[in-house]
Amino acid sequence: MNQKELIEYIKNNFKGIENIKSIDEKQFSITVQKERIINILSFLKLSNFKELALITAVDWIKEEKIEVVYILFSYEYEQQLIVKTYIDRQEPSIESIKNLWEIATMYERDVHEFFGIDFIGNDDKRPLILHNWKDIPPLRKDFDSLKYSNTIFGKFKKDKE
Amino acid sequence: MSEILTYLGKDEEYEVYELFFGPNHPGMSGNFSYILTVDGHTIKKVSPDPGLLHRGFEKLVERRLWLQNIALIPRICVPEPDINEMVYSTAIEKLCHIDVPLRASYIRTIVLEMARLSAFLFGFGGIGGTTGLYTASYWSISDRDYLLDLFEWLTGARVYHMYILPGGVRRDLPNGWTEKLKETIDYLQKRLNEYDRLIYNNPLVIKRLKGLGKIEKELAIEYGITGPNLKATGVKYDIRKMVPYAAYDKIDFDIPSQNEGDGLARAIQRREEFQLSLDIIRKALKDIPDGPVRANMPNPLKFKVPKGEVYVKIESARGEHAYYIVSDGGDKPYRMAVRGGSYTAGLILAQKVLVGCRIEDVALWMATMDICPPDFDR
Amino acid sequence: MDYKKKSFFAPFNSLKYLLKDPVTIRYPKENKKTYPEVEGVSPQYRGRHFNDLEKCIGCGTCEDICPTGAIQMVEFDDVKEKNGATKKRPVIDYGRCCFCGFCVDVCTTSSLGMSREYVNNFPTPPEATEDTQGEIISKYFIIRPDLNFSKNQGWITDNNYSWLELKRVVMGIFNPEERSNSFLEIVKGYTKEEAILEARRCVACGLCKDACPIHMDIPEYIMAIFNDDVKESVKEIYKTNPLPEVCGRVCTHKCESVCSLGHRGEPVAIRWLKRYAVDSLPLEEYKNVIANKPIKQAGKSVAIIGGGPAGLSAAYFLSFMGYRITIFEKEAKAGGIARYGIPAYRLPEDALNKDIDFIKSLGVEIKTNTNIDKNMFEKIYKEYDAIIISTGFDLPRSTNLSRNGMENVVGALPFLHDVREFLSNKISDVKITDNVLVIGGGNVAFDCSRSVARLQKMKFGKVKVTQVCLETPDIIPADKEEIEESAEEGVTLIYGMGPKEIILDDKGNIKGLDFMKCESVFDENMRFNPKFNENERLICEATMIIEAIGQAPDYSFIPEEYRSKMKFERGKIVLDENYSTGIEKIFAAGDIVKGPDIVNGIATGLNAAKGVDKLFN
Repeated sequence: MNQKELIEYIKNNFKGIENIKSIDEKQFSITVQKERIINILSFLKLSNFKELALITAVDWIKEEKIEVVYILFSYEYEQQLIVKTYIDRQEPSIESIKNLWEIATMYERDVHEFFGIDFIGNDDKRPLILHNWKDIPPLRKDFDSLKYSNTIFGKFKKDKE
Repeated sequence: MSEILTYLGKDEEYEVYELFFGPNHPGMSGNFSYILTVDGHTIKKVSPDPGLLHRGFEKLVERRLWLQNIALIPRICVPEPDINEMVYSTAIEKLCHIDVPLRASYIRTIVLEMARLSAFLFGFGGIGGTTGLYTASYWSISDRDYLLDLFEWLTGARVYHMYILPGGVRRDLPNGWTEKLKETIDYLQKRLNEYDRLIYNNPLVIKRLKGLGKIEKELAIEYGITGPNLKATGVKYDIRKMVPYAAYDKIDFDIPSQNEGDGLARAIQRREEFQLSLDIIRKALKDIPDGPVRANMPNPLKFKVPKGEVYVKIESARGEHAYYIVSDGGDKPYRMAVRGGSYTAGLILAQKVLVGCRIEDVALWMATMDICPPDFDR
Repeated sequence: MDYKKKSFFAPFNSLKYLLKDPVTIRYPKENKKTYPEVEGVSPQYRGRHFNDLEKCIGCGTCEDICPTGAIQMVEFDDVKEKNGATKKRPVIDYGRCCFCGFCVDVCTTSSLGMSREYVNNFPTPPEATEDTQGEIISKYFIIRPDLNFSKNQGWITDNNYSWLELKRVVMGIFNPEERSNSFLEIVKGYTKEEAILEARRCVACGLCKDACPIHMDIPEYIMAIFNDDVKESVKEIYKTNPLPEVCGRVCTHKCESVCSLGHRGEPVAIRWLKRYAVDSLPLEEYKNVIANKPIKQAGKSVAIIGGGPAGLSAAYFLSFMGYRITIFEKEAKAGGIARYGIPAYRLPEDALNKDIDFIKSLGVEIKTNTNIDKNMFEKIYKEYDAIIISTGFDLPRSTNLSRNGMENVVGALPFLHDVREFLSNKISDVKITDNVLVIGGGNVAFDCSRSVARLQKMKFGKVKVTQVCLETPDIIPADKEEIEESAEEGVTLIYGMGPKEIILDDKGNIKGLDFMKCESVFDENMRFNPKFNENERLICEATMIIEAIGQAPDYSFIPEEYRSKMKFERGKIVLDENYSTGIEKIFAAGDIVKGPDIVNGIATGLNAAKGVDKLFN
């Protein structure tokens, strides 16, 4: 199946897709409701999107939303697929997909650490990279790395921005 | 942080200890450790402990202009820094719809393959170092120097080149550089036989690597293993061929692959890909066209990237090296997520595969998987 | 791959390596020679920096691009001052520098480069204590302008791989055939896309701001254009410039001559960007963009004599301070030299009217057709709280060749005035013949010859204009574009000749002009003092002569009692530090203060407004 057929196929076989758009000839993205994320991912895994390349997040501070991004790849269709969903920024939580892909445990632990997102079902919340971290999750947009560095290491004489 | 060795208790036969493995090890290109629960010298449990190398790249890029980041991102990976510049530039080119001149694409191909060669040479040293064949380390590091000399000539720096820019490359090839590269390629070709004698036909290496950390095809895909490690399990998949970037679609080459999926297959796969890289450089040097090396690009201080998001991946020596870049239409990246080639191998696969191995296999396994801590500790 | 059983002799096999060359290199006994032409590191190595202080203009672009914040611009007193440069020079901290060379690639003057020196070791100062060691180490770690580390060039700027956009966005111009038979504006102006592309080139160094007589916020309004925010741009422009439509077309653009991009390529088209911004915002929108409420209520009345650029500028600024303004203008319309001195193909009527209409909308009263004489001056002096004189240079200078009553010899300004009146249908015809000679080498002379060319084309269908100037091509005061474009329109330009005598025919009509060679224009003190060689002669045939050799001020309307107290220097009024003429309540602005230049007129207008405001506070 080429990308067009694939998009048609997904549209016809999965109800509840908010947005589906092509990024380039080898890549397209799907936006779904937060509640549907496990359904769509298991559907996609069954439809030959076997590789989970990455789970990450984007903090849209102005919209008061956090976007959770799942990047999948299909060796069969050679298509990259970006699955996105938006969750509340104040109390960010989403179902864990660790039962679908075992490797998701580590990705989710990583994202939890850097964005403070609670993955329901994934209890491994030990710090992975940031030992003894006491500030807000650092990849959130309201975390100011320069301010942090100035308080921890002392002020540098020339401060841009 | 744990103690180096913690006594945990006693089972039927042996005493069980927790061993802090790392963070500095000759087989590793960065600081990273595993906490191993060992029963005698058999590993019972592995838990990775990264964080000693964390520099916060994903946050730092959000504070810098699109072009300023070119100076920062190569530092994510020491053995093969150019892949970062390439992924980042390709992502910007995709978001801005910039066409790269053909000559620049070829130069990029050559530079990336040279970086790949130097990463593989680093890896040869790693296998040598972890099996106790220190000659291999000395040889490969000194051979790598010939490539670094060429990088220095072309880009002005030996390790962090900052050479590939959005829109093309920074400078054209200097006079006499191509000839010198051809010489170096021929030299490395000659040396490859020596490496074969030293490493790949060496009974000692074969005995150590055979059957080490065997991965099945399905498991590799499920666990997101990519690159030479995936090819060593029999999946003939290479991003250079399937989702071509730079000038790879204009160069004819075949992907080597192995079937066993164990440590030896991975080591031999890397040696085959070393040969492939030499061939690709030869072909690229033959076909390289004349022309400009950079598209017309805006003044870097007023460079904005249109709103959008893109996931760009390229084939690094360790597998799929990818960035997920989000732009909000401003002069700085809104979000950049890095997916290093050995992310899943080092953090997750290790927990599964290393169980049952012996302590001395850990470093060797890491060398055959080419685990690079900056990939996950970026 | 499996391994074979090894033979018994296998260990001896490795003995052969004893005879082979080692793979590693025994430095310094051996050295691998990688680079054919140089010893040591590569020819374009990115080592420690060097900076040519003479070339550096302190624009600070290197500081802006530096990804690590290693570069800081520091003011240095011993730096030689020069036009279009600050006294700041980059100071590089090697504790932060990552040797990316971005500073070199964006350097606007190519003064900054990287050397092939990279070894940076120094003896540990044994006497250093914890307090002093930072200072001692910084000597080695921070490169200051007064230290020149090396001249051994490595990575240097290269225009072929420039990061800056060195080429201007091409401005659309009507071709000579289209433009030469009408007074249509020549320059088409940027479209939105072109303007954004051109604005993108700016590196926002701010050198232009210092060079501009009125210190316009040029980087800011260019940034606004780049962000496609014309309203913001117009707002920034109107902060300092009340006549942007005029300046956007005919300003002498001192900003562009110092633009940092001009050192390696073409300067940013600042003037045209300004024109784009104001052109694309309709007059009705101005009110919403520019604050039109006075910042205070002074409650005083000010009379301005002369409605030229300086007078209008003073009126604009004073009206914001809450003064009641009346402008007395002798012509039918305000605008002064901008209307009656500059031809319509450079500054169309509509553009000028837009500027003036906005100033009028602020409550400024303009009394046109009001000539001021001595009596009137006395009356105004009593009636108003202050007077600003901005009458300009409106008397034409003459070569003294023409004898009384000689027809067909006219001055530049009356001629241009008539052309403007003719175009706005005030008068039915401009006197013109089919063979005209223009004397002069300034922009006004070109205005005349190009206007004549257009009129001839309209009237006779062919052009025959000869322009003669004293100067040689290297010192001609007119703009380069004027010389190029006039040639395209059919004007013949003759350099280095001075007029001697008018040749008449039997009936007393002009037949031609006798020229002699001009040896030098300036004397040793760079004063205007031409020397002629009478032996080299040239006779130009012509039936009409326009003299465009400069203008002079007219102070005859000022009563003697005031005029005797004013100080004059070479025809211009000398002002004191409060921009006053030295007589109570009387200020001056414009050409009569600074000489002919529109943007200087605006600057002196602002100064006069400041002076007036100071008087009442």
